[in-house]
Amino acid sequence: MKLALKELRRRPGRFATATVILTLIAILLMFLGGLLDGLIASSTGAIRAQNADAIVYSDTAQASFLRSRIDPALRAQVEATDGVTEVGGIGNVQLGARVPGNGPRDLASVALFGYELAPDGVPDAPPYGQAWADESIEADGVEEGMIIEVGPARTPIEIIGFVEDTSFNGQSSLWASPDTWRDTLSANRPDAQLGPDVFQALIVRGDGDDLPAAIDAATDGATDSYTVDEAIDAIPGVTEQQATFNQIIGVTVAIALVVIGLFFALLTVERTSLYGVLKALGARSSTIFAGLVAQAVVVTAIAALIAGTLVVLLDVLLPPGSIPLLITPSRIILSVVLLLVAAVLGCSFSLRRVLRIDPASAIGTTS
Amino acid sequence: MTTTPAVVSTALQLSDVRKVYTMGDGSDVVALDHATLTLGSDEMVALVGPSGSGKTTLCSIAGGILSATEGTIVVGGEDISGHDAKELTKFRQDKVGFVFQSVNLVPFLNARENLLVVDELGKRTGAPARARADQLLEELGLADRAKNLPSQLSGGQRQRVAIGRALMNDPALVLFDEPTSALDTKLGEQVMELIQGEMKSRGIAAIVVTHDERITHYCDRSVHIVDGRLEA
Amino acid sequence: MFLAFKEMARAKVRFALLIAAIALLVFLILFQQSLQNGLITGFIGAIREQNAPVLVYSVDGQRVIQGSVITPDMEADVLAAPGTGEVGPIGQGTFTGLPSGNTDGETFDTTLIGYELGPDGNGIGAPSTVVDGRLPTADDEAVVSDADVQLGYGIDDTVTLLPGGKEITIVGVAENAQLNVSPTLFVSYETYLEAVKSVNPDAGTPLPNVLGVIPAEGFTPDEAVASINEQSLTLDALTKDDAAAETPGVAQVQQSFNIIFLLYGLVVPCVTGLFFLIVTFQKANSLTLLRAIGAPAGRLVSSLLIQVVVIIGLGLLVGTLLYYPVSQQALGGISLQFETAAVIFWSVLLLSLGVLSSLVAARRVLKIDPIEATTGQGVGS
Repeated sequence: MKLALKELRRRPGRFATATVILTLIAILLMFLGGLLDGLIASSTGAIRAQNADAIVYSDTAQASFLRSRIDPALRAQVEATDGVTEVGGIGNVQLGARVPGNGPRDLASVALFGYELAPDGVPDAPPYGQAWADESIEADGVEEGMIIEVGPARTPIEIIGFVEDTSFNGQSSLWASPDTWRDTLSANRPDAQLGPDVFQALIVRGDGDDLPAAIDAATDGATDSYTVDEAIDAIPGVTEQQATFNQIIGVTVAIALVVIGLFFALLTVERTSLYGVLKALGARSSTIFAGLVAQAVVVTAIAALIAGTLVVLLDVLLPPGSIPLLITPSRIILSVVLLLVAAVLGCSFSLRRVLRIDPASAIGTTS
Repeated sequence: MTTTPAVVSTALQLSDVRKVYTMGDGSDVVALDHATLTLGSDEMVALVGPSGSGKTTLCSIAGGILSATEGTIVVGGEDISGHDAKELTKFRQDKVGFVFQSVNLVPFLNARENLLVVDELGKRTGAPARARADQLLEELGLADRAKNLPSQLSGGQRQRVAIGRALMNDPALVLFDEPTSALDTKLGEQVMELIQGEMKSRGIAAIVVTHDERITHYCDRSVHIVDGRLEA
Repeated sequence: MFLAFKEMARAKVRFALLIAAIALLVFLILFQQSLQNGLITGFIGAIREQNAPVLVYSVDGQRVIQGSVITPDMEADVLAAPGTGEVGPIGQGTFTGLPSGNTDGETFDTTLIGYELGPDGNGIGAPSTVVDGRLPTADDEAVVSDADVQLGYGIDDTVTLLPGGKEITIVGVAENAQLNVSPTLFVSYETYLEAVKSVNPDAGTPLPNVLGVIPAEGFTPDEAVASINEQSLTLDALTKDDAAAETPGVAQVQQSFNIIFLLYGLVVPCVTGLFFLIVTFQKANSLTLLRAIGAPAGRLVSSLLIQVVVIIGLGLLVGTLLYYPVSQQALGGISLQFETAAVIFWSVLLLSLGVLSSLVAARRVLKIDPIEATTGQGVGS
């Protein structure tokens, strides 16, 4: 193996092109993964942040806030369910916001939430007319203390601070009191307005093995309850995006495998006489093959390192809001691991040839 | 394993060795037929014959690179007739040295590292091997070339590095395959003098495979081979 | 030609691996091309398909139909614009629908697009191409997008909206007419209003979301757009195609995919070029020999190029064959299509890039000096 690594160090040029190709593939893997993570994160932040054992929608809502209605009578039923300790109403409305300093047609997309039980990372509901904002809204020029005008009715909302990772459907979320939300909703969306004390959904905390099922049973099917994870999956597009992207990522890893296999198969052919000599001198096939695998691993690792650096750089340079890219250490590590596995498996194409090299070929007339 | 160094007096004993290849159409080709040859522990033998005569086959069998179809092969006291591939590999690491026709140094290793290759692949003794390598380089007049790559060495120097590599594991037998074929007369003579000197001073047996009658006088005796058969 | 093929036949594994790599890459590129087009069409197909050349949103809507609201004042402004010919209201909402054609009794997010039918169902905002059945001519009739038929939204099926139970009957099918990647029904404006009321009795009468506009005599759609936008800062008029392209998310999807295509597209010539460069080095001795015995240099280069074309061609073929069955699927509500234009585009592009990349190897071949056959140097390591 030392021999193989020496060759890498002494003859880097020979491995350069393969490294370039692998770097391209590694960038692809990390970019695809980052895109998936970014899309999911910006769709699901608001739900992921909920500190809840169950999220309750009305039964025909298909887990959509807009189509769900929970009136006080239904809420009372949920509150009376065995195991339920706390219940808070929640609702949202998606509107465009006018930000001071931006052009008249340049609106920020916001999802205004009214809430009673605070999600993780968000303080308790502020006074009327004020809201916490997801930090993604800073990309639209919003600052703390600013008053933005929301919706066609230009409802004023004062931004009193920022919270992290609570985006919803790709929009920046605002977190306000239920009254603020309800009034904003009826002023801007008269067709969707709700009566006093009516919420779109409920955040429920409690005990029990299967609280969502217990709640639906207690309301006799008038509600459709989910755990937080289930609610996330129910957000339109989430499961499809994951499945599609993961398939594409899988095929890309297969491509990496084939490319490595190809490159090292060619390299092995080139070194047949060298391997013949080494075998004549007493090298075992396993030693030679281990050297090959070591080279593949090192080349792949270098490619992954370069790719990781470039992808992080890309993430920094991208203007916020252009592409939903989220680069996390776990995604980079996963990509690297997948590539290394592909590298080792790709070498297997050369195993047979390495085994078949006859030391006797070293003696006698050279080709 | 079985050898007690002081008692071994023959480096090589081939008894009735036969090598038969079966061709694709089912017919047999006899590459080596009833070959019997004995080498003393410090004897140098020239194996002479035209191409296709079987000298490469005999060399390969003696060196444990090829298995014989029939017959007994004992090298440095070790009977390798029935050795499997793994055992032959180990045998080659320990007991045999090779100097190939086209020299075949590892192109990306310098002279010293080329000598250390065998140790790297085998026993990995580390410091003792490095000491031996340096000593051999010194003795072969290559001490100042230790860090040079083969591309930076002359043909004769490369030949000497190859000889050094062959001697690294203190073999019972060294096999030289056409050592002078790529060299002009003068250089060829220099190389043969070197080979003779090294083998004799260390008391190591050698087979020199060649078709060049000009160099056979450097060896103790010549053995001729034609069509797979040895002539006295 | 003879040399080129003989060599490939003798070294099947390596050439097979190269073809496999290219085929997988081609497959991925074409698949993602379909995915991109399917996504975008699923998102805004309805906008492209409806027949109004100009659409007017409220600026607050940020080019999302559902977020846009047209007040009577705004409608008056639009009518006052010189570029405006005829105007029709368009309303859009998302509902929970239970299609009768679905044997499992599943419900789906269903989009309703309401427009004023006019005498024959072909009012402003109607779908342009009905491929099966007919346009709606009365309330509670609908034209559905073709991708949704397999979910149970077929002709003569009824869709029940929940809650409330309002029923709508499907009478026709239009192509590529989805909105928001969900089953989409084009209905009369009255039907749309009733649907909103039936699921939420608290709701007042909704205002139109968007106005469809036919430009006045002598105005192109772009001129009509400019004329309407001049009227007021609360109006956001766009041509139909711009409205589709500038829907939030569409640009993002295209940008993301463009980066992906760029990267995959680069990998193909790199792999091909690398392969042929290495193989040329390995064949150095035989190439030198051939030159020494009189083969013209151009012949050796053309032999190389023939191999490149054959390899990439086979890779394209296998990749396209892999792509074909996948392109017939529906992927989570997105219906894919076999994009012939994409196949042609990428075939030409990858072939050209592949040939270009092999020029490096070709240059090496041309540098061979036949005299080296006698000195035994070859091309070197």
